[in-house]
Amino acid sequence: MSASRRDFLWRSWNGIGGLALSQLMADNLSAAAAIDPMAVKPQHLPRKAKRCIFLFMAGGASQVDTFDYKPRLNDFAGKRLPKLPGVSGEIEGFLDAPHRVIPSPFEFKQYGQSGRYMSTLFPQMGQMADEMAFVHGIQVDNNNHGPATMHVNTGSQLQGAASVGSWISYGLGSENRNLPGYVVIQDPRGSPVNGSAVWGNGYLPASYQGTQFRSSGSPILDLALPRGLSREQQRREFDYMAQLNHEHSAERGGSAELDARINAYELAFRMQMEAPKLVDLGSEPETVRKLYGLDNPVTEGFGRQCLLARRLVESGVRHVLLIHGVEIGKFSWDDHGNVKERMPQHAAEVDQPVAALLKDLKSRGLLDETLVVWTSEMGRTPFINDLTGEKPGRDHNQYGLTVWMAGGDIKAGTTAGATDEFGLRALEQPIPMRDVHATVLNLMGLRDDRLTYLHAGRYRRLTDIGGQVLRTIVS
Amino acid sequence: MRRLMFMVLIAALSLAAGTFETDVQPILQAKCVPCHDSTNRTSGFSITSQESVLAGGARHGAAVIAGKPAESPLIRILRGDIKPQMPLGKTLSGDEMVRISGWILGLKAEQMTSKTKPYWAFTKPVKLAAPAVNGTVRNEIDAFVLSKLTEKGLGMAPDADRRTLVRRLYFDLLGLPPTPAETKEFLEDQSPTAYDDLVDRLLKDSRYGERWGRHWLDLARYADTNGYEGDPEWPHAWRYRNYVIDAFNNDKPYDQFIKEQIAGDEFFQVVSAVPAPPPEPEQAVALSFLRMAPFNRTPVSEENRDSWLSEMTSTVGSVFLGMTIGCAKCHDHKYDSLPQRDFYRMKAFFSTVTVPSTGRAGGAEPAEFYRPGEKEWADKLREKHKQDLTSTQAAFDKVLEPLIAKLTEAKKRNDARFEGKLSAKDVEKEVNADNNNAAGFDKKPEVLTAAQKAEWGKFNGKITRLKKAIERLEPLSMGLRNADGPPFSPSPPATHVLIRGDYDHPGEVVEPGFLSAVEGHSNPAALKLDRYKMFPTRGRRMTLADWIANPENPLTARVMVNRIWQFHFGRGIVETSSDFGRNGTPPTNLELLDWLTIRFTEEKWSIKKMHRLILSSSAYRQSSVHENSKGLELDRDNRLLWRFPRQRLSGEAVRDEVLAVSGRLNSEPGGLAVYPRLPEGLDEGQKVQGVNTWETSHGSDGRRRSVYVFQRRALQLPFLETFDAPVLNTSCERRRQSITALQALTMYNNDFVNEEVMHMAERVRKETGPDVREQARYAFELALNRSPKPKELEGALQLIASTEGGNGLVALCRTLLNTSEFIYID
Repeated sequence: MSASRRDFLWRSWNGIGGLALSQLMADNLSAAAAIDPMAVKPQHLPRKAKRCIFLFMAGGASQVDTFDYKPRLNDFAGKRLPKLPGVSGEIEGFLDAPHRVIPSPFEFKQYGQSGRYMSTLFPQMGQMADEMAFVHGIQVDNNNHGPATMHVNTGSQLQGAASVGSWISYGLGSENRNLPGYVVIQDPRGSPVNGSAVWGNGYLPASYQGTQFRSSGSPILDLALPRGLSREQQRREFDYMAQLNHEHSAERGGSAELDARINAYELAFRMQMEAPKLVDLGSEPETVRKLYGLDNPVTEGFGRQCLLARRLVESGVRHVLLIHGVEIGKFSWDDHGNVKERMPQHAAEVDQPVAALLKDLKSRGLLDETLVVWTSEMGRTPFINDLTGEKPGRDHNQYGLTVWMAGGDIKAGTTAGATDEFGLRALEQPIPMRDVHATVLNLMGLRDDRLTYLHAGRYRRLTDIGGQVLRTIVS
Repeated sequence: MRRLMFMVLIAALSLAAGTFETDVQPILQAKCVPCHDSTNRTSGFSITSQESVLAGGARHGAAVIAGKPAESPLIRILRGDIKPQMPLGKTLSGDEMVRISGWILGLKAEQMTSKTKPYWAFTKPVKLAAPAVNGTVRNEIDAFVLSKLTEKGLGMAPDADRRTLVRRLYFDLLGLPPTPAETKEFLEDQSPTAYDDLVDRLLKDSRYGERWGRHWLDLARYADTNGYEGDPEWPHAWRYRNYVIDAFNNDKPYDQFIKEQIAGDEFFQVVSAVPAPPPEPEQAVALSFLRMAPFNRTPVSEENRDSWLSEMTSTVGSVFLGMTIGCAKCHDHKYDSLPQRDFYRMKAFFSTVTVPSTGRAGGAEPAEFYRPGEKEWADKLREKHKQDLTSTQAAFDKVLEPLIAKLTEAKKRNDARFEGKLSAKDVEKEVNADNNNAAGFDKKPEVLTAAQKAEWGKFNGKITRLKKAIERLEPLSMGLRNADGPPFSPSPPATHVLIRGDYDHPGEVVEPGFLSAVEGHSNPAALKLDRYKMFPTRGRRMTLADWIANPENPLTARVMVNRIWQFHFGRGIVETSSDFGRNGTPPTNLELLDWLTIRFTEEKWSIKKMHRLILSSSAYRQSSVHENSKGLELDRDNRLLWRFPRQRLSGEAVRDEVLAVSGRLNSEPGGLAVYPRLPEGLDEGQKVQGVNTWETSHGSDGRRRSVYVFQRRALQLPFLETFDAPVLNTSCERRRQSITALQALTMYNNDFVNEEVMHMAERVRKETGPDVREQARYAFELALNRSPKPKELEGALQLIASTEGGNGLVALCRTLLNTSEFIYID
């Protein structure tokens, strides 16, 4: 940093509080880019989406009770599935066991112009069917929650890889410098399986890990001032600290990192002002609050998460991960028993909020710029899980995950992949998760073969060995 | 046609083929940097030297075909025949194209030798005499460093002042600041050996092992939990943490340290048909190294075992050999001479390992306590927990009695035929029905009240925790052993090469063998089995460990010496300290690295002697604030060490420093993990099946050094995480030093920091008296090891005066903890 730049910094500091600093920041952007991991970077491909909202349903949402319509199961109700040709491995084992088929207890209906079949558990999301594109028959690498959750969120079932949001913020940087670039809001009732590894930066630099926002109270850890401290007092301390820090930096020839640290304190100061305003959902009009279901205890939890996500992307946050469901237990989509009563509960919690998110983004003209992805860590079996008795539930099924996407350059109303008539596994070639990841990256304007990071001797990427973009759903 | 014209052009101009350095490199330097400089190496391609250009990159292989410019990928990319055309957004002039083409035209096939020349890391280090140089040469290190600097016309910075040196040494060796008294002691020590005496004193301090052991724990991917579903605790992992700390404190020779961690159970020679006795407890604990990866039990299959052994192989390769052999799992290594077979030959050394199969994460092996006094400590504590458990259980039974009666009664009301009595199990079922993922959300009338359930939960939690506490104190370790082998269990299994690393595509069978690039051949290793071949599963890992921990191995000592260098200077002589391969960065000073390497093995792998040597050099004692415009221009990143590199403290060191300056650090060594209080709101999230797995430590236990903090894979202590302490799922060779706004928020607003700030202010008042000026001066001494300058003091007094509520001193302390100087060490 040149002497004049230092001089300028110094004068700016003394003259003003936050205001001119944003100017300074912009002015300083190119100099900062060299050391600022969150500097905005150009897309590899011209794509409309600038931001991504990733909706993760923890526990393994049943595809045949949500978006993968399988009327044929009714013919086999209570019976075993027939022997299927070409079936081998684990699925064969499934078929050998005396499993009884459970048709979906829920009615399916066609929605929208596209006539998309969806379960009537999602009447409100149904109204947005024409915005969505679906992917069926996705295969994940593992049949249990821990590894499968890692696989869907990081591209590897082993812990230690970087999550989707980390890759996206690494690839694109962040537009809002007063907020973290990658925000995670987990279910207010608890954490998912694997905890923070789900939004971990893995081998990418720590700046790219998801920052947890809480949907009530102080949104970020350590955001609120220490008890009893006034903003004025903080300013006094920051000013004196700046005096010490500038002196320290000047004595050391003004290193980029020391100056970056000085900036980080101003950023923190502004974050303290901006972030609480962001999470203050009270400032939203009543109509919007109602739209997201904040007035209903069933929808309030995920409703707050979705509304917050909209406010975050509106403010330029690059990636938001919303998690619905808690580590194995009652509040997880892991319905080993009683699908009939549990699915309506999960669905009711998310249907209105997700539909509201899509509607709200659309009405604000943000849906074009925002990619919304719905996923879970795996699908479920069309037949009963042997362990339960009276009230049948479904077992894990790593061969039948359904994902939908909306917004950005999604070709709405299209479908990629299909499962067989029982929803058990992909009809032809299964779609590997890496293809879904490649598609998400592509829709964000990133190429999975160019978005790489050298770690332990290898250029790592989200798709590992490379994924095929699912062209049918991309316009 | 285009091509023809191109050839004509070349022929017509028929340049006298230029050299790389004069004709080609300046062009590439101007157009291809920074993407293809030695740091970025985008797509593995770097233009730094003729050799690197010839070697090409990851995507298109060799960049140049000698004598054939039109067919050379380099030219084809520059012309756009291969997309994307390079350089991105810039173009080359015709003249430049011709010059590059002319150089390729003039290249002879013999010059394409970069791949055949023996690679430095695979050849034995050569000990050169220290070069003759001008400058402050305190030992050979300085001669080697100065020699490189002189080539660039640079020199070393003058020595840092004593105040800087004492702070630097304390943080480097202990991870803690010197107290004002310790600072004073060193400043006033007039002896010519004052500096060396201080180094000696610090190396003998047991806090040294806590600092340097932490470096090794990063490499060993140490954690106290398993990761994945439920993130279950490994109740005996903490003993490995203490083993590592002890090993550093005792200066355990590094070769021994390696052998214990790879083959601690194979030290005893088996000389007859009688099996070996169990391993020494210390060595049994050391073996935990192989177990430290997150462990995914599902699916329960041979394939899963395969990935477990593969991780072990890869980690041993990168930690001890600095070789990313994991890359060869799926294919021949693109950059290094590591054929895919080599990975499986290395993996075959581990094929006989077994772990008692209990629970999600596997069980533990017997290991009596080896640390002096630890057995008595453990026995006593365990006894206390057992008594506690008995009395809690008795109290619980009393609470259970009416609950069982109530449930039984309800059952009888619903089911007239039911006779007898329900049990404690039924109560548990009833309480947990709320969180059952097979049950419905339909509400049955509740038999037990919420208060009754809460009380049950309280007792259940306490009992679960006590049982866990007892288990942690059992004489066990996270180790492993060899399967018994015939006749009662199977022979060592064959190891197959897996085609593309795919478990379902086994290829040829391989025998255990060492890296062929080092050995020069790929013959099977001579396994050190017992003389009667009674125990064919035993001896494989020791065979490997002996090969690794051997002065003849060109990699091992180099890799470790480089790591030691890195932890002192912030960057290794080889920057990629776990990757000595071609894809890593080349050494900035190979002569120095080799000299140190040989010295290390000559000194019997003593790490402390290596510290002494490095710390006594002028290179280490340089000032970091030296302004040198020539240095900045020629070596911006200070790779050649024209000054000392300033470093940011690790998260652990920042937390420990806060506690040290408040005077409240509990420096009790060893023992079990501690659980500092979590920020509000995170604590609840740590419940697994109703029991909180974060057993918040109260009192001074929560203020022990950070190396003792419970390492939970699903949740790193946020304070540490903010300052780049990773969740260790894979080996971490070097911490990052990021700068984020979250760090500012944490240092300023965090409850822990603010609590300690109050105590620091209290301490200042107590140790100085009522004079504000003196208080401010002492606060500077505590936090920054120096007195304030007049202007700083003036500012401090102003801050104190303008702060309301008599909290001025607290404000000053908080501000000092937030300065750059507090966490950046010169």
